[in-house]
Amino acid sequence: MSKIPKAQIKDQKSKTKRKSEDTFAYRTVTISTLLSLIFFVVSLLFNTGIISIFVDINLIFDIVNILIKGIAILLFFLFMMISIGNYKEMTGKPLGWKELLLLFILSLGQTLLNYVVFIFTLVGLLLILVYLYLVQEI
Amino acid sequence: MKKIGYSILSGIILINLLLISSLFIIKSYGLTEEIDAKFGAAPIIDGEIDDSIDEWKTASKNSINLTDLPIDLWVMQDASNLFISIQVDLELSAHNSTEFIGLLISNSSSENQEDFIDAKIVQFSNILTNEFAYLDYFINNTMFLNDTNYHGEGAGKLNGKVSVYEFSIPIKQLLVDGYEEDVILEYENVYALNITYGKTPSYPDGIIKSEIVLIEIFKPLEEEQLFIEVILLVLTIIVFSIVGILSGYYIYKIFKLKEKMERLRS
Repeated sequence: MSKIPKAQIKDQKSKTKRKSEDTFAYRTVTISTLLSLIFFVVSLLFNTGIISIFVDINLIFDIVNILIKGIAILLFFLFMMISIGNYKEMTGKPLGWKELLLLFILSLGQTLLNYVVFIFTLVGLLLILVYLYLVQEI
Repeated sequence: MKKIGYSILSGIILINLLLISSLFIIKSYGLTEEIDAKFGAAPIIDGEIDDSIDEWKTASKNSINLTDLPIDLWVMQDASNLFISIQVDLELSAHNSTEFIGLLISNSSSENQEDFIDAKIVQFSNILTNEFAYLDYFINNTMFLNDTNYHGEGAGKLNGKVSVYEFSIPIKQLLVDGYEEDVILEYENVYALNITYGKTPSYPDGIIKSEIVLIEIFKPLEEEQLFIEVILLVLTIIVFSIVGILSGYYIYKIFKLKEKMERLRS
C-alpha cells in the first residue's frame, strides 16, 4: 500500500501538467516573437526602400516587390498576435481589442510609402481578422 | 465542425480570388510599350554611366527589342530635360564602325510616320576610337533636314562590347532660336519615340532596325506633393521606431515572465 495519499499524487500530476503547459506556451511566445521580428526586419528593409532590388525592372518584379512587402507585414502581424495572445494567456488576461487595434495600426503604418502595398496589406489584415473572428465564434 | 470547414474554405477561396485578380493585368505584346520618365539628377552626357556618382540611378530601366536587336533603354527626366540612355550589347566584331542610334520624335503620341518630325542622332564616325557626332534633324516628308540650331545633347562611347548612347532633350522650351524645327516636349504629355539603329550615316535609308515606344513626361513635383511625401516618410520612420521600441519592451517583459515562472516553480 502506498504511503503517499491519492490527493497528493493528483496534485503533483496536475502541477506537472501545468508546468509542461506553461513551458509550451512560453516556447510558443518566444518562437512567435522571433518570427514576427524577422518579418518586421524584412518589412523594414523593403518598405523603407533600404533594399530595392525588385524596383523598376518589369511588371513581374513589381508584383513580387509588392507581395514581399505586403506578406512580410501580414506575417509580422499574425505572429505578433499569436505571441501577444499566448503571453496574455500566461499572465491570465485575454487579448483585448486595444492591443489588437494598436497592432493593426502599427502594421498598416509600415505601408505608408506605397499605396498599392497599403491596399494589399489592408485587405490581408481584414481577412486575417475576419478569419480569426469566425474561428473564435464557431 | 462542418461550419468551421465551410468558413475556412470560403476564406481561402476569397483570398485566392483577391490574389488572382491582382495578377489579371493585361500584357499585350502587340501594343506599343509605354514608359514613364522617372525623375532624377541630370547625368553627364558623355556616353559613360558613372556608378560612383549614382548616375542614372533613378531612371526607368527597360529592355526592348529594335526589331531583333535587344537593347537596354533607360529613361529619366528633370524639370528641364528628358534623358535617354541606350545600351547595345553586341560582340565586338558585330559592332559596326559607323553605327548610330537615332531618336525620331513624334509631335504627339501618334505613331503615324508624318508625325515624326524631329530626329536626334548620335553617329559614330569610328566606334573604336569613340569618334562621334551629335546630329539634330527636322524631318519633312521622310527628308532629314539639318536643323539651323542644334538643341539637346548626345554622346556615344564603346565600353568593352557595349556601346552606350546618351541623349538629353529639352522640355518645355520657348519657340525661339530655331525650336520650330524641333518637337517641343510638354509636361503631362505622351510622345512616341522611334528608336532607330543603323550602320551607315544615311537617313532614313541607313536605318535597319527600329522600335516605337511611348514616353510620358511628368510635371515636377509641386511643393505640396513634396510636403506630403516628406510627411509620409516621417510617419513611416515613426511607425517603425515605435514598433522597434515596443518590441524591445515586449522582449524585456517576456524575460521577466520567465523569471517569474521560475520563481513560482521553485
